[in-house]
Amino acid sequence: MDAVTYPNQEVISFISENMIPLQVLFDAQPLSTGFNVKWTPTLVTLDTDGKEHHRTVGFLAPEELIPSLLLGMAKSYFETDRFNEALVNLERLLGKHPKSGSAAEALYLRGVCRYKSTNDPKPLKEAYEQLAADYPSSEWVKRAYPYRLL
Amino acid sequence: MENKIKWETDLDAALALAQAENKPVLLDFFNPG
Repeated sequence: MDAVTYPNQEVISFISENMIPLQVLFDAQPLSTGFNVKWTPTLVTLDTDGKEHHRTVGFLAPEELIPSLLLGMAKSYFETDRFNEALVNLERLLGKHPKSGSAAEALYLRGVCRYKSTNDPKPLKEAYEQLAADYPSSEWVKRAYPYRLL
Repeated sequence: MENKIKWETDLDAALALAQAENKPVLLDFFNPG
């Protein structure tokens, strides 16, 4: 990450504008035990209270790190019932990084956010249909499978 | 424009900044070796 991804100018700009970056040694205590870190790199997205909302383990290239961070930010908002703010980040992810490894989960979560903010189940079915069309081999198609019946 | 990431090294300091700027924290556990 330090050799390839973190020196990337897009990554630098994204993190500087959107997040507070905190870097610690993998065995730094009490954080390493507290976050149950077993391998590096482990990247964790925390909300402003320090609560974990997203985690990745292993190297991410710049074109994968930025969408992964957007997904983490969206999950942070989603899990605190801030659905509109979650949707802003999900739309940004899907608009700019549709081929990334985070896109299918983002599409699933967008459907859930839309449902949670409207109580209309139609977005869940739309999420399944788009996942089946655009990401047919994704695990998120399977997770959305029941929504085809809505 | 920043030319490198300005990493915090202390969780409490990072959370104080996060609350002041209303931003999430990216916590990176790294291995320098």
